[in-house]
Amino acid sequence: MENSSLINKKSNRKFKESDYYNCSHSEYYLLPFKFHRINATKEILVNEVGDFIIVPSGTAETIISKKLLKHIDEDLYADLISNFFICEEKVPALIDILATRYRTKKSFLDYFTSLHIFVISLRCEHTCHYCQVSRVVQNKDVYDMKISHIDKGIDLMMQSPNPNITMEFQGGEALLAFDKIKYAVIKASDEAPKKNKHITFVICTNLAPITDEILEFCLSYQILISTSLDGPEYIHNKNRHRPGNNSYQLAIKGINKCRESLGNDRVSALLTTTNLSLDYPNEIVDEYFNQGFRNIFLRSISPFGFAAKNSKKNKYEASKFLNFYKTALNRIIEYNLNGEFYREDYASIILKKILTPFPVGYVDLQSPSGMINSVIVFNYDGKVYATDEARMLAETKDYTFQLGDLDVNSYNEIFYGDKAFQFAEAWTNESLPGCSECAFQMYCGTDPVLNHQTQGDIYGHRPTSVFCQKNMEIIRYLIELMDSNKQIEHVFRSWITGRN
Amino acid sequence: MKHEIVGNMLTVIVDKETYPSDVLYKCFYWYSDNYNVQIFPLDHFNYKVTLQCKVLEHNFDSILEKIQQDLIDFKLRDIVAKETRTVRELIIAKAFAYYDLADNPSTEISDPVGFNPDII
Amino acid sequence: MLLKTKGIPWIIKETIVGRVTRDAYDIDSNSVLIAEDKIILHESQNFKAILTNLPNKLEIDIPLVYSVETFDHLLDGDIVAINNDGIINTLYRVASNQNFILFTERCNSNCLMCSQPPKDKDDSKFLVNLHKQLIPLIPKNCHEIGITGGEPTLLENHFFELLELIKQELPETEVHCLTNGRSFAWNNIAKRLGMLQYNQLMLGIPLYSDYYQSHDYIVQAKNAFNQTIKGLYNLATYDIRIEIRIVLQKETIQRLVKLAKYIYKNLPFVEHVAFMGLEYQGYTPYNIHKLWIEPLAYMEELKEAANFLSDQGINVSIYNSQLCVMPKELWKYNKKSISDWKNIYLSECSKCTLMDKCGGLFASGERKHSEFIKAIEIC
Repeated sequence: MENSSLINKKSNRKFKESDYYNCSHSEYYLLPFKFHRINATKEILVNEVGDFIIVPSGTAETIISKKLLKHIDEDLYADLISNFFICEEKVPALIDILATRYRTKKSFLDYFTSLHIFVISLRCEHTCHYCQVSRVVQNKDVYDMKISHIDKGIDLMMQSPNPNITMEFQGGEALLAFDKIKYAVIKASDEAPKKNKHITFVICTNLAPITDEILEFCLSYQILISTSLDGPEYIHNKNRHRPGNNSYQLAIKGINKCRESLGNDRVSALLTTTNLSLDYPNEIVDEYFNQGFRNIFLRSISPFGFAAKNSKKNKYEASKFLNFYKTALNRIIEYNLNGEFYREDYASIILKKILTPFPVGYVDLQSPSGMINSVIVFNYDGKVYATDEARMLAETKDYTFQLGDLDVNSYNEIFYGDKAFQFAEAWTNESLPGCSECAFQMYCGTDPVLNHQTQGDIYGHRPTSVFCQKNMEIIRYLIELMDSNKQIEHVFRSWITGRN
Repeated sequence: MKHEIVGNMLTVIVDKETYPSDVLYKCFYWYSDNYNVQIFPLDHFNYKVTLQCKVLEHNFDSILEKIQQDLIDFKLRDIVAKETRTVRELIIAKAFAYYDLADNPSTEISDPVGFNPDII
Repeated sequence: MLLKTKGIPWIIKETIVGRVTRDAYDIDSNSVLIAEDKIILHESQNFKAILTNLPNKLEIDIPLVYSVETFDHLLDGDIVAINNDGIINTLYRVASNQNFILFTERCNSNCLMCSQPPKDKDDSKFLVNLHKQLIPLIPKNCHEIGITGGEPTLLENHFFELLELIKQELPETEVHCLTNGRSFAWNNIAKRLGMLQYNQLMLGIPLYSDYYQSHDYIVQAKNAFNQTIKGLYNLATYDIRIEIRIVLQKETIQRLVKLAKYIYKNLPFVEHVAFMGLEYQGYTPYNIHKLWIEPLAYMEELKEAANFLSDQGINVSIYNSQLCVMPKELWKYNKKSISDWKNIYLSECSKCTLMDKCGGLFASGERKHSEFIKAIEIC
């Protein structure tokens, strides 16, 4: 580049027309993008970093067959250039922007495993019919996690490259082994600053065993409580049998007690959807709102453990869930349109991927998938599993996703062992049949464990996959809702930013 | 698109050059839930695709139009994939490179007095 | 508001920069005496120069300007540059919080609406020398200072020298530097700026469209868009604070909302976005048929764009706009931004209850402004 020659050039400050700045030569070049028909009249184009444009059906064909003419459809042409769908050079001038944005999108992977689940006890006094965990009531020596295993688990957790780690206690009913939780929390809190780690604690509990002593402890270590609320009393109790049949009362009482002692934002509730729930979308949405929650996570039941055995009660097709989901979602949107902030969490995860340039790590819907990369499970018996569902599979004697044993294996053997490499072949949707060309790839994810359980191999078969059917339709529906109604788009954006 | 229906089997003949095997496999993958699909080279110029319905009684009318449309869609996707392969690899490589420094622009800074950004 | 005056020079070789004072007994060696109607001379005087309205030259060996037209615009403490042709420019005003330093009049763009049209000659020697004298004299409690041009980065190494000097002399001062950002597409330049580790520095960079052809046309330079975007990315890599500026005119309104979305998706690291009303100055009158759009007509687009960015957590301001022309929901973004020396209000405005809060107009706006300026009466 000869800048010095410019000194000799007479500066030409005569104003030029827009055409002078047109850099296109002949045909434009395509940039990587995917497309999908979202309904009879519209299709969506999605670029390599997840930006989308909604256009009339047939537009993708026009663009790809190079029939788009700049001077005829300049607005669309400009949109496609500015949004990285086409460009006027072989290698786009702003390729580094695309690279940086792509890296940003995947940067939820940056520090590897963050969530460490400790199944502190298998004991539980509930007998929920969909429970994916074997129910065991007695024998804490066998079914509670040993101190030595807690120590080893903490040691592995501290070896994670992630400066932010979460230690989550599950069960059975985790609080039945509160003494073990106490030990684990105190020990981990001690270790964390030595390894420059910031640690967050979560206890998953049905709140039946909650006491003031437990609450005090939770307050001093800023422990988050995650509990279950399946909906109004008749649904909750039907799903969650307990001697005395008062699971709902105990849950509500517990939730309020926790809010009082720990603060509203320290208690969250998870919904488990069963066949019974499917008939009551509005009632469930209303119940959460009435109990003071301003967010709800509408997730489908995972077909593991007891769920698979109780097929009459729990087996249902994706379409039934989708009807439930859409009805509930619309109810929630209604609250928002009437001025109340009320967020659906599953939609929010997807919306954040669609509407923002930021990374979104959610273990059940990401590529590469959450197993090992984001989450690891230390079971009560010292065995290590790739995900929560993986250890439930083990209850049915399927040890495919068992990665090792706390007494035997090192960090490397568990996180970077042969099994991990094997699963890696199937854990990116970019390389799976059906997913590799899908327009929703950036918004979706993959779950090799689910594929194995429901379809017989870790790759899965997309045309018959419940995961695919459910997610494709939810994503398509969210997009269609936003496109048809600007107010709904505004509501969705408020869910992501947290402001109305 | 040449086709023939015999019983619960639909046979489709497609031109090899327009629809290479990549396109056919990606397209008919989505039919493998309800059909047993097989793809053979027929002769120098064509592929033969057979779809055998897994259910005994079946009406193929609605599916013919869908197949036409899907073939076109997957062909389009194939065009994009082939044309953008290099750029896509470049984007990903740059995204995850440890020491990649973006190149300085090869375009002019356009200062009439002669500012040269390379010498700073 | 006057920013310069002149008189007859006597023994002025090079441009002199000094702080004016009317106190004849001031002994600061950087002071310039304003002697109105009489001159007091004494032994310990140390003035850099003397300015007087008296009509006669004096036999002293201190640089002198006599027959100066007026001193009314100068307060004690203001900093002036006395040129060898007798022109006295005010470089810094103590009573103003809108002081700026003009780094150069050179520019590598040629925006259709440039309010300070560039000059294609190398003025670096003169201006750098001037500013090296000016910067140490600026009061240390100066809250905020602007750097303008032309395009400041064209000063090459001097750009960094002067910034370093400002950082050193005025460590508490917020510095707002206007630049087209194109030079920073060259990584070495962005890196050098990053090495300054200058937290008080914010760059104000214009971006007029999400579509390269539109932006390049508006700034009248090929490849400007690509260079600016690359520059923004490089600056972000080195954690340099950035503001995006968008002038509201006919060409930018068309894709304004798309530009807002582009900024959010591709430049989410920007600290602030400023939407600016058009100034009827410089090139603007010549290009007015390409630029002018009645402000009332673009309020819907402005609302959508401003609210979109604000909802995503990016700070938004609207400058150079009048409250009566804007919908109420945009008032919260409105800032009084017009430099005091060119800020006016129309006669209609004297009836307005919100005149205090409103930014008013550019002086040049007298000739061209919204048809809908009207006093707001709030009871």
